[in-house]
Amino acid sequence: MKRRLRDLPPALAMLVPSMALLGVWTVYPLVKAIRTGHLDCNLTATKCRDVGWDRYVDVFTSRQFQDALMVSVKLALMTVPAGLLLGLGLAMLADKHLRGIGFFRTAFASTVATSVAVASLVWFVLLQPEIGVLSDLFSGWIPALKNPGLLRDPDTALPAIAVSSVWAGLGFTFIVISAGLQSVPKELYESALVDGAGSWRRFTNVTLPMVSPSLMFITVVLTTRALQTYGEVALLTQGGPNPERPTTTIPYLIYGEESLIRNNLGLKSAAAVLLFLICLVFALLQFRMFDKRVQYSR
Amino acid sequence: MGRYVLLVVVSVIVLFPIWAVLMQALKNGRDSLDHPRSLLPVDLTFETIREAWTQGNLGRLLANSLFVSVAVTIGVVITSLLAAYAFAFLDFPGKGLVFAAFLATMLVPAEVTVVINRRTAESLGWVSSYQGLIVPSLASTFGVFLVRQMFLQLPKELREAASLDGVGHLRYLWEVAAPLSRPTLGALGLFTFLGTWNAYLWPSQVINDDDHKTVQIGLASLRNADINHLNLVTGGLVIAALPIFVILVVFQRQLVRGLTAGAVKG
Amino acid sequence: MRRTRLLGAAVALILVASCSSGESIVSDGDDKDTTTSAGSSGSDTTAPAETTTTVAADTLPDCPTAALADATGTVDLTFWHGMSGTLEEELQALTDAYNSSQSKVKVSLVGGSYEETFDKYLQSNQGNRPDLMQSPEYTLQALIDTESVVPVGKCIDESGFDTSAFIPAALAAYEAQGMQWSLPFNVSNPVLFYNKKVFVAAGLDPEKPPTSLEELASYSKQIVDSGAAKYGLALESGFDSGGGWFIEQWFCKAGEYYVDGDNGRTSRATEVLYNNASGVEMLTFLQQMVADQTAVNVGDNTQSGYDNLLKLADSQEPAAMTIATSASLGPVLDVLGGGQFPNIGSGDVGVGPMPGPNGNPGVLIGGASLWVVDHDDPVRAAAAWDFITFLTGAEQQSQWGAGTGYVPVRSDALEFEPYKSTLANDPRFAVAGEQLEASPDALTSAGPVVGPLRAMRAVMAVAVAAILGGADVQATLDDAAQQSNALISDYNALND
Repeated sequence: MKRRLRDLPPALAMLVPSMALLGVWTVYPLVKAIRTGHLDCNLTATKCRDVGWDRYVDVFTSRQFQDALMVSVKLALMTVPAGLLLGLGLAMLADKHLRGIGFFRTAFASTVATSVAVASLVWFVLLQPEIGVLSDLFSGWIPALKNPGLLRDPDTALPAIAVSSVWAGLGFTFIVISAGLQSVPKELYESALVDGAGSWRRFTNVTLPMVSPSLMFITVVLTTRALQTYGEVALLTQGGPNPERPTTTIPYLIYGEESLIRNNLGLKSAAAVLLFLICLVFALLQFRMFDKRVQYSR
Repeated sequence: MGRYVLLVVVSVIVLFPIWAVLMQALKNGRDSLDHPRSLLPVDLTFETIREAWTQGNLGRLLANSLFVSVAVTIGVVITSLLAAYAFAFLDFPGKGLVFAAFLATMLVPAEVTVVINRRTAESLGWVSSYQGLIVPSLASTFGVFLVRQMFLQLPKELREAASLDGVGHLRYLWEVAAPLSRPTLGALGLFTFLGTWNAYLWPSQVINDDDHKTVQIGLASLRNADINHLNLVTGGLVIAALPIFVILVVFQRQLVRGLTAGAVKG
Repeated sequence: MRRTRLLGAAVALILVASCSSGESIVSDGDDKDTTTSAGSSGSDTTAPAETTTTVAADTLPDCPTAALADATGTVDLTFWHGMSGTLEEELQALTDAYNSSQSKVKVSLVGGSYEETFDKYLQSNQGNRPDLMQSPEYTLQALIDTESVVPVGKCIDESGFDTSAFIPAALAAYEAQGMQWSLPFNVSNPVLFYNKKVFVAAGLDPEKPPTSLEELASYSKQIVDSGAAKYGLALESGFDSGGGWFIEQWFCKAGEYYVDGDNGRTSRATEVLYNNASGVEMLTFLQQMVADQTAVNVGDNTQSGYDNLLKLADSQEPAAMTIATSASLGPVLDVLGGGQFPNIGSGDVGVGPMPGPNGNPGVLIGGASLWVVDHDDPVRAAAAWDFITFLTGAEQQSQWGAGTGYVPVRSDALEFEPYKSTLANDPRFAVAGEQLEASPDALTSAGPVVGPLRAMRAVMAVAVAAILGGADVQATLDDAAQQSNALISDYNALND
C-alpha cells in the first residue's frame, strides 16, 4: 500500500501529458457528443432544445440506422476474416530466410504506406469500366466489371469496397503478424518435429497459439476499422448505388454528402455515440472470446 | 523453389494496383485517355506528375505534411514513453481503471471528436495553424500500449538494481528503459509518422487557408478536376505516396524488428 | 462465461434488431413536446410558420458602400470559395487582377469543396468566418437562416448599383422575401447534348433538337427504330442532376411550384407539392421510356460525373441524346477532340435547350453566388462589395465565361472579349445563356427555396432511381414527399 501511494506523484506527473491531451481531444468530445445527442439544434448550433434520451433509442431503431448497421456488419464480415487469413498467409509465406526475402517483405508491407484516400483512389481508378485496367483482364469471369462496373452494380458495390479495404490493410496486418511469427521460439518447432508432428500439426499446435496475441489485436483493429469505414465509401460509391444504397455505412449515413441529417447536430451526435458504443461492444466481445485462447509469454 | 514462385505471384498481385496507377501517372494527359488500359509504359513522361505538382501547389503541401508529421511523431514518442513508464513500472491506486479508460479512447470514432475539436480549436484560436494540426494528435493510446509492452519485457532485476543505486524514475527512463526500447520506439515513430502523413479528416476541418494545408487535402481537391484532367489525380497520388514508400523501403526491417522486440522475452 | 454470454447477447440484440421501428431517422424531433425558441409555431406539419411576405430590411445589417473611401491602409479580405482545378485557376487569375488593379483591398482565396466550405461556415464562430463566401444555389434558405450575412440588396440600394444588364432569372434565383441576398457569379444550367450524326442517320433534322417531352419520346423512338443508335436518351439519377435538380427544372417549365409558399420565395416553405399529377406524369413518362428501351438509365453518375455523356460515345450501345449541365460542354468537346471515339467527334455534338413539359422555355440556374458576410465592420463590408462588383463586372464575366464554360451572369458581357470570340467560334456555348434569358417572369421560374433542399434532392434521387427501375410512380413519389416533408418540418422547427 505504501508503494502505491508513494508512486502516485510520479505516476501522475508522467500520465498527465497523455491524460490531458486525451481528455481534451477525445474524452471531452465524447462526453459533449453524448450530451448533444439528446438535443435538437439549429444550423449553427446556437439554439438548442432538449428532446430527451429517447432520442438515442429512436435513432438506433430508425430504418436508416438499422440499414447502415447491417451494411457495416456485412463489411466487417467481409473484411475481417479475409484480412486475417491473407495477413497470416503472407506472413507465413515470407517467414523464411531466403535470399532477397527482404524485397518480398517490403512488397507485402507496402500498402501500409497508403492512406484511405490513396488506397480508395487507386481502386477507384482501377474499377472504372471505361478506363480501368481490370475490366479488360477479368471481365470474362466477372461481367459486371465491364457492365455496369463493379461500383455501380448494387450486388457487387459493397464487395468491391471490401476488396479495397482489405488490400489497404494488408501491409499493417502483415507487419503485425510477421512480428508475432518471428517471436515464436525455434525450440518449440524443433521439439514438435521431434515429437513427430507434421507441418499442419506444427501450425495448429505451435504457430497459431503463439501468434494468437497478434491475431486478436488485428481482429479488434480490423473490426473497428470496418465499422468506422467512411473514406472508401465517400470516394468509391458515395453510399449508392441508388435506390438500394447498399454501401451506406454508419459513418457515411452521418457525414456523407447525401446525408439526411447533415445539418442536425443532435442526430449526428446521437448516431456517432451509438457507433462508439457498438464498437465498444464488439471489442469487448472479441476480448472475451479470445481471452481464453490467447497465450501471453509473460 | 516453389516458394519463390509463390512469393513472386503474390507480390505481383499485391503491387499490381500501385503499378497500374503509376503507369497511369506517367502518361501524359492525351495518352491517358487514348490508351487508358495499357499496362506497359506508353511514352513515359513526367508531365502529368509535374502538372499535378504545380496545380496542387504540392511542394508547399509536402513541406507542411513533413513538418507536422515530424512534430507529432516526436510528441507521441515522448508522451507514450512517460505514460507507459507509469503503467509498467509504477503502482498506484486506480491503475487498472485508468488503463481501461485509455483502452476505451482507442475506440472513439474520429467523427465523434472532429466536430467538437474544431470548436475547441476555434476558441483557442488554433484554426489554420500548425499547433491546431499538431497538438490534438500528440497523445496516442496505441503508442502507450506498444511501449508498455516493451517495458514489461525488461527484466525486473534491472530496475531493482538501478533503484538501489539511487536512480530516480526519469533517469531510469531516459538512460535505461528508452535506449533498450529503441527498436520499439522506432516502430512507433514510423507508424505515427505514417498515420499523421496520411491523415485527412482532421486537417480538412481545422485548416482554412492554403498555407497550412497538407498533402492529403491537396490530393482530394485534385480529384474534383474535370474529366480531361482525371489522370492528374494519379499524378498527385504518386507524389503523395512516394516519400512514404521510400521511407518504408529504408526502414522496413526496423519496423518488424521493433514489433518483435516487444514480444520476445529477454 | 456468463460475461461472454451477456456480451454475446448484446451483439445478437444488435444484429437481430433489424426488426427496426421502420421509422425514419428524421421523424425524430418534430413530435416532441418541447420549449421552442420564441416565435416558432411549433412542430405541427400543417400549421403554417409565420408568414412573411417581405423581410423587414431594417432588421438586416447595413451595407455602407461608401465606407471604403474612408479606409486607412489596405483592407485584407478572405474569400471562401468552392472552385477547384482549372476553375480555381481562373478565379485566382481574376482575384490577382483585382488585387493589382488597386491598393485599397487585398483578397486572399481559401478553397475547398462546396460542402466543406459550407460546413465550415456553419460551424465557425462569426469571428472565424470569411468576408466573402461563394455558396451554391441550394444553400439560399440556409444562409438566410444563419443571420450572418449582409444582403447585397442593401449594397445595391446604397450604392445605386445598376443591375439592369444582369440576366433577370439569374438575379431572381437569389431573391426571397423581397430581398436580394446575393449576386450570382458562376452560372450553369442543363442543356440537351445530342449526336448530330445519329440524327441524320435516323432521318431527323440535326439542327432541330426536341424541346417537348413528346418530341423527346418520338425522336428517341425514331432513332431506335432506324437503328441509328441503340438508345435515344441516356438518363441518370445523380442527385445534383437527373435525379433531383432536373426534376425541379421541369416543374419550372411546367409553370408549377415545387414547394409551397410560392416556392418558398414569398413565405417560408412548409411542404412539397411534387407528388401531384404533374410529377406523376413526368416520372411516368421517363419510366415508360426506359421500359420501352428508347431510353437507358446509366445510374447515379457518381463515378465520373459524366456517365451519361460517355454513353453517347459508347462504341457498342450508344445513346443519341442526354441532358447534362452546360458546364460540361468545354470538357466534352476537349475529350472528343482526341478522335478516339468513332461514332462521335467534337463536331458532331449538338447542343439544344433543355427539353421539358410542353416545350416551354426557361430554366433554373445552377452554380453559386457571392455573399457578403457581416462582421459589423463598415469598411470590410464595403470592400467585400467592391470585390463582388468587380467579379460580376461585364469584362470579368466575359473572361470568366470563356475560361470556365460558365454562363456570364449579365448580357453585356457578350460584347466583350474573350467571351465574344468564344461564342463567335462556337455558337453552341450560347445555348445555355439564351435559354436562361428566355425564362418567363414568374415566381415558378425561380426554383424552390427551402432549408434542407440538398437532402430533399438526395431523397428525390433515390425515388427517381426506383421509378426508372420500374417502381410504382405515385407510391414512390408519395414516400419521397413524406420524407421531404419530415425534413422540412424538422428544419423549420429548429431554424425558424
